[in-house]
This record gives sequence, C-alpha cells and structure tokens, in this order.
Amino acid sequence: MSEGARLSEGARLSEGVMSSGVIHDIGYQRYTGPRLGRGYVTRSLYLHGLRTVFGLGRSAKAKIFPWVAVGIVAVVATVLTAVRAQTGRPVLSYADFPGAVAVLTTLFCATAAPELVSRDLRGGVLPLYFSRPLRRADYPLAKLAALVSAVWLMLAGPLTLMFVGGAFSVHGPGAVRDEFLDLLPGLVQSVIYAAVYSSLALLVASFAGRRAVAAALVVAVFLVTTPIVGVIGVSGGQAAQQLAFLASPTTLVQGVGGWLFDVSGSDVGPYGPVYGLAVAGLVAACVLLLLVRYRRVAR
Amino acid sequence: MINITVARITIRGLFGRRRFLLLLPLPVLLIGLALLADGFGARPADWANPVLVGLGFGAVLPVIALIVGTGVLGSEIDDGTLVHVLAKPLPRRDIILTKLAVAVVVTAVTVGVPMFVAGLVAGSARLGAGLAAGCAVGAFAYSALFLALSLVTRRPVLVGLLYVLIWEGLLGNLLGGTRILAIQQYASAVAARVGDTDLLIGRVSVPVSVTMAVLFTVGGTLLAIDRLRSFTVAGETS
Repeated sequence: MSEGARLSEGARLSEGVMSSGVIHDIGYQRYTGPRLGRGYVTRSLYLHGLRTVFGLGRSAKAKIFPWVAVGIVAVVATVLTAVRAQTGRPVLSYADFPGAVAVLTTLFCATAAPELVSRDLRGGVLPLYFSRPLRRADYPLAKLAALVSAVWLMLAGPLTLMFVGGAFSVHGPGAVRDEFLDLLPGLVQSVIYAAVYSSLALLVASFAGRRAVAAALVVAVFLVTTPIVGVIGVSGGQAAQQLAFLASPTTLVQGVGGWLFDVSGSDVGPYGPVYGLAVAGLVAACVLLLLVRYRRVAR
Repeated sequence: MINITVARITIRGLFGRRRFLLLLPLPVLLIGLALLADGFGARPADWANPVLVGLGFGAVLPVIALIVGTGVLGSEIDDGTLVHVLAKPLPRRDIILTKLAVAVVVTAVTVGVPMFVAGLVAGSARLGAGLAAGCAVGAFAYSALFLALSLVTRRPVLVGLLYVLIWEGLLGNLLGGTRILAIQQYASAVAARVGDTDLLIGRVSVPVSVTMAVLFTVGGTLLAIDRLRSFTVAGETS
C-alpha cells in the first residue's frame, strides 16, 4: 500500500468515527475586542513599577522601607523650613538639598531597584513578559523610567514643601518669584541625582537575583567608591583635587552641581564641562549596559 | 559545640555561589588604593584616615560582614533548605554557634588580610596587626548582630543597611553619643590601641569598645539562639 493510500484510508476511518458523533457548541469564542499593543504594555509596566517602588498595592511590609526614606527626607525638609522661618535665613539652598540627603537617596535606590528587577529575575518570569508585544529594550527602559521618576518625586516633593514654606516667609510677589527661580536649580539637580543614582542602581541590581544581595551591592558601589575621592584629593595637586570628584557617583553629581548651580562643598575649578560629560557618559553607559544585559536573559 | 557538617554546608553555600565573587573587588580595592596613595608619594597621615577608616572600617568591613552574616543563615531561610538542618537531631544552639563561627572567620579573613596589607603599606607590621585585630573585633560583633537580624526580620540586609548607613554613617558623624553603639567605632578604637599609632583616632575608649563588642556578640548570639528555637517555617511572602 502506498503512502497516500494509507493516509486516505486513515482519513476515511476517522470520518466514519466522526460521523456518529456530535460537536456541541459550548460557547468558545474568538477574542474580537481591541488588542492593546506595545505602548500599553510599556505604560502599564512603568506605572506598575512606580507603584512597586512605593509599595502601593502591596503588603505593609513592602511599604516600610520606601516610606521610611521618604519620611526622613520630608522631616529634614520640614526642619530646614522651620529653622528658616525662625532665623529668616535659608540654612541650605534648594540645589544643596539633594546632596544633603544623598545617603537616603542611596538607600531608597538600594531598596527600590532590586524590588523592580531582581524579583522578576528570581521568579524566572521574564519569558512571560517577552511573550507579549514588548520589545527587549522596553522592559528595562520602563523599569528605569519608573525608578527615575520615583527618586525624583522623593526629592522634588520635599523641595516643593520647602518652597511653599519659603514663599510664605518672604514678602511680595517679586520675592516669591525669586524664590521660585531659586527652586528651579534644586529641581534640575534632583533630576541629575535621580538619573545617575537610578541608572547605576538598576544596572547593579539587574545582575543579582536575590533582592538582599542586590541591595547590598548597590550600597557597596556608592559607599566604596567615595574614599577614592579622598585619596586622590590628598595625594595629587590642585588639578587632581578638582578632578577627584569624578571617581565616585556620589561626588560626581555634587561636582556637576558645583559647576551648574554653585553647590557648596565641591570646588571643580575650570573642569565643570568635564563633569557634565562624565554624568552624561555614566548614564549613557549604564543604560547601554542595561540594554545589553536584557538582550538575552531568561533569569 | 561546633558541628563540622553544618560548617561545611555553610561554607559551601557561601563560596559555591557567584555572588561571593562579587565581593572580591572590595578587598582588592582596599589594597589597590593604599598602594596607589603610597605610589603617589602622599604622607600616610593624609591618606590613612580616608582609606583605613573611611573605606576599611566604614565600608568594606560592614558590607562584607553584612553579606556574610546574613548569608550564612538568611539564604537557607530564603531557599527553605534550613528545614533540613533543623530536622536533624542537633541542638539549635550548635547550629547558631557553627554559623556564627563560619561568618566570623570568613569576615575576619576577607577583611583582615587586606587591612593588614594596607597597614603594612601605611606604616609597620604593628599597624597592620592592629588593623587586623580591629577587623576581628568588628567581625565578631557585626556577624552576631546580622545573624540575629536574619532571624528577627524577613529583610535582614535592608535593616542591616539602615544600621550601617543611617546609624553608623550619618548619625555617627552628627551626634557623638550614637558612637557608643556603633560597631565600626569599636573596631577603629581597638585597631588604634593595638596598632599603637596616631594615624587612627579611637573616638570611643578601648575598655568601653571591648565591653560593648562583647555585649553585641553575646547578645546577638543569645537572641539568635532564642529565635531559632521558636523558628516557624514560612512560605515566600510579599
């Protein structure tokens, strides 16, 4: 019997069996609604990431760390506002504020970044994400955008609080406008802080599947590089001192602040543009490495 | 008191994973910076404080102690493999003491050796020995604290980071009174005394440091033993 004949034999046989049976319509239907595309997935991922960072929609335990950090920053801002209202002089300029609470920003990033990426890595759920109309780059970029926004909100919220306090302690609309013009550098400085801290923290966290380890690694990166600045500062000449702030992300952002907004505590001399380039380069490198990291990853 | 098998499993759990290799850059950085500063011809009086105290006692010792101290027990709790150890006819005290011993030895060696080398570069073998002794004291206190933390809370690393960053880092510099409860101050005080040097400044007196370090160690160990006695196995939450 040839191949074709045997096949047709089988077909006839099954036909004979089928003819005695009935197919019931049990109501299976095709999906005919709108199919939400890549943009929707990315937006959802961003919004979900933002909620995750602050522990919204999660257990009370997940809210402790982000809100402790936010709370302390808010308390610092409140105290600064109160002192200013009493003495009449601002203790800290708006642009100085992000640097003053940098430790808390580090801590915030160290808890938030692993929450965003390490859980997915450990759970091995990335293939589920990428089986949706989501490009490889969308996932890390949405997470990064969520973290940057969250860190910026954490800094900008208290800054606004300080501004409101300041605006009510000065007299006349002109003074309020001046106050607002003082606030803008603070907000921009917060953006720089948010971009640098978030991209670095997310990159480091994306290499560790365990949240705890990822958090410790993030803090280690920020904590350990700072003394290098001190060493270069004491061992070199003036140029080395002014360039020393490049060695650590913490002091790098301060250096940029010193260049752009005259932030205290970081004399960068004529090397301001170098710091600007370094910040742009660092963020670009982190984003690039993050994209490379997620090019092929299952867990 | 110390169970060899549990110790072996713990050591394998620490070193058998990639994440421990991620810690290796820290000690290397410590030695590298000391050599770099020395190579630039800077005086040890200038760079000893940022490198030995700022980096060594302020960052490398706490971070390594944190990873190791929470790793010896915390990772087994997370993986759920601790049940297999608990189910064996071993006193809970022995399990804690074994894990603590492993954590102390691993931390003291990984931080003490590079600190000794950095001390050699900065001055003398005496200074190096002092730094190593400080690391050993710190390793005991930190390990006991973090081991207890990993049983008290489900997020031991984050609580430990809060302690290291906020309490020791931020408040230790602002409010002098908090230094009495800061382990890194005990480490530098002991290092300054044993090393017999004026490069390091002990801000807490040596008898107080030693007493408090012993208190931290004993208190942390007792707390950990007590917590492990009534340990309940929980599933993955939050």
